[in-house]
Amino acid sequence: MRRFFLLLLFVAIPAFAAQVTEDPHEREMLSIAETLRCTVCQNQSVAESDADLARDMRELIREQLAAGKSRQEIVDYFVSRYGDYVLMKPPYDGPGVLVWLGPVVLVLVLAIPAFVYLRRRLHVPMAPPPVLSAEDVARVREAQRQPPE
Amino acid sequence: MNSLYLIEFGHFAAYLALIVAAVQALAPVAGHIWGAPRLSAISLNAAVLVFVLTSLGAITIIYAFVTSDFSVAYVAEHSNLQLPLFYKVAALWGGHEGSLYLWVWVLTFYTLLVVWHGRRHYPRQLPVIVAVQGALVVGFFGLILFLSSPFERLLPAPPDGRDLNPLLQDPGMVFHPPMLYLGYVGFSVPFAFALTALLTRWKSEFWVGHIRRWALVAWGFLTTGILLGGAWAYYELGWGGYWAWDPVENASFMPWLLGTALVHSITVQDRRRMLHAWNIFLVISTFSLSLLGTFLVRSGVLSSVHAFAVDPGRGAYILAFMTIVLSVSFGIFLARGRYQQAEESVTSLLSRESLFVWNNVLFSIACASVLLGTLYPLGLEALTGEKLTVGAPYFNTVMVPIFLVVMLLMAIGPLVPWRKANAVRLRQHLLIPAIVGAIAAALMAAVLGGYWTGPAGVGLAFFAGSALVTDYLRAIRQRRAQLAEPWLRAARKTALGNRRHYGGMVVHFGIVIVALGLVGSGLFRHEASVVMAPGDALPIAGETLRFEGVRTDRRFNYRTVEARFTLLGSGRVITPERRVYPQQGAPMTETGIDSTPLRDVYLVLGEPVEGGRWTVRAYVNPLVQFIWIGGAIMLSGLALSLSGRRREARAKAAVENTAVAAK
Repeated sequence: MRRFFLLLLFVAIPAFAAQVTEDPHEREMLSIAETLRCTVCQNQSVAESDADLARDMRELIREQLAAGKSRQEIVDYFVSRYGDYVLMKPPYDGPGVLVWLGPVVLVLVLAIPAFVYLRRRLHVPMAPPPVLSAEDVARVREAQRQPPE
Repeated sequence: MNSLYLIEFGHFAAYLALIVAAVQALAPVAGHIWGAPRLSAISLNAAVLVFVLTSLGAITIIYAFVTSDFSVAYVAEHSNLQLPLFYKVAALWGGHEGSLYLWVWVLTFYTLLVVWHGRRHYPRQLPVIVAVQGALVVGFFGLILFLSSPFERLLPAPPDGRDLNPLLQDPGMVFHPPMLYLGYVGFSVPFAFALTALLTRWKSEFWVGHIRRWALVAWGFLTTGILLGGAWAYYELGWGGYWAWDPVENASFMPWLLGTALVHSITVQDRRRMLHAWNIFLVISTFSLSLLGTFLVRSGVLSSVHAFAVDPGRGAYILAFMTIVLSVSFGIFLARGRYQQAEESVTSLLSRESLFVWNNVLFSIACASVLLGTLYPLGLEALTGEKLTVGAPYFNTVMVPIFLVVMLLMAIGPLVPWRKANAVRLRQHLLIPAIVGAIAAALMAAVLGGYWTGPAGVGLAFFAGSALVTDYLRAIRQRRAQLAEPWLRAARKTALGNRRHYGGMVVHFGIVIVALGLVGSGLFRHEASVVMAPGDALPIAGETLRFEGVRTDRRFNYRTVEARFTLLGSGRVITPERRVYPQQGAPMTETGIDSTPLRDVYLVLGEPVEGGRWTVRAYVNPLVQFIWIGGAIMLSGLALSLSGRRREARAKAAVENTAVAAK
């Protein structure tokens, strides 16, 4: 009987301590899914979304990976189906180019005037601060003596 | 009886508030036309009355929630008999109509504060300031009462409500909207000041300090709101992160960026009497972005450009309102903006004021880039029908380099004095921080490797952090050399003696901590998506998690499946859940998180798989806690900065001026 329990323990331990590791295909699938937009969601990638469409797209990526397709081929496949809209990162050509050029243009548009402003304002002669008349000084003194209303 | 009539009473109060707010906005105009200052003063009494009436309206809605009066449509849609009382009260801002009501309530509250504060400090301009705010109140009440009223009835009343969106049933989400709105709406005060300054040709010395302080208050609330929003996303949404560059998030980030530029450049005007027009421009732009944020989130334009076009009511109103506010305020700015000229010149390009100009350039680029990335897809689709996604990868690519330069500036800026810096001394003072930063970056690159932004971010964070610390130590040493005080006392007196400066430095230090958190959690996250049976162990990033099993339970207004995981080694337990709120249907995941200062183990329980197994997503997020800790440091620095006694400082300056003049 005791032997039976020992045996049970031995059978049980490996089952109990089973280590699970992530399937590398699954990781590859998710890293591709992260770059694709779930097209029916508000700003969620296919990797994050719980929507049915995202689930189907993840399954499609899994199938295509299993069929030996490369990352680029899979992404191209989704772009051919959904257009550039499916890419989380806008492409560098087509209408997306403007969003990429924007910040560069902004640097020029803002930095150059700032520099010109500073240079122009450098050592501009300024009128000396007006000297208070004796009357004004007396008024300031008076105001200081009284607490503000 | 009771709330059946009460809600109508609140509705009536809101209508009265609209009318009285119109009086508040128009009285000073009338007073100006007929030359009767006492007519203008009606505006102040009106503002107090508007706050009282708006509060009455809010209280009746809250009362309807607490008493579960489902004959009020808004209550029926956002509450439920089983909803805990805490969330019933907070459900006031759980939906569209109530959020707008909270917005206007906060606006009337700020107006009340301005009236109270202004009677002593700026009585002559006060009616104009209050009138500007009154006009904003009228605009928002028009939207609330005619297009999205929380007072609408639903008759016959349903027996039970549809329940508050379960995602919102979280303490983070309860405090997030009020904080955010206190920030957004807070910028209406500097806005009203700026317009008043333009309209009355108010001299800069008299308003710059007020704008600075109100802008800092608004900035603090906005920061709190954004941090709470991030924390809510992190703890509640279950995708392992806290910031997704979602348009809704960007909507709050844009006024924050420009507000940050403002609180810096307003100091230049305060101390060096220049940049007057630019500051007024910044104030108007920041508040406009607050309005834009409200428009983006509240008009439905984000979920679909078409939905907005098909049902134009609310969206068109907000758009029209924004157009009016923008054209009136920028129109006044164009006509009067240069009424006040700079009174001092730039002494050197290496000076605090010059670096503040570059700070403004950087934050403006950052803000405009976020604006572009957020609005471009909307504009493109509206104009050409073409759809484009501008997602997180875009914003990360663009914003990270900008923020790295900001960090560099943040390291150098505080060490550069006003007017002109001594380049040799500056180089000496920056030597040690630069070495510390370089070592940190090199160590980081050698040990952890990864993308270049990691070492760059950490290096700059250490550079900025050690520049702050060495500068503080130098100040303490100087004080001790003069006064021979003990260390602690000298440290305390140094910081408290110049609260405005050291408050700002504490904020900067908080930003350094946040930056480390962003680098750690952004670049070194580990994640695994696995299927586990009870008893299975998952090794991840040096931790091992054992899945113990699940149990079901029924609480307040939901049913839950709770999983139990043990962290082998420390023996700590993590319990992620899947909840079902019957009134809302769809299952919700509730994350399980084990936090230490250096890392979070973050678990999301997925769906059950055959054989009693469950899908589990596990993340190890390094340094996430740094973000919340850094945020808290930033806010305490802000409090220190605001605790400075401005009146004493001003009185001292007046005495000095008199002394100079008397010579």
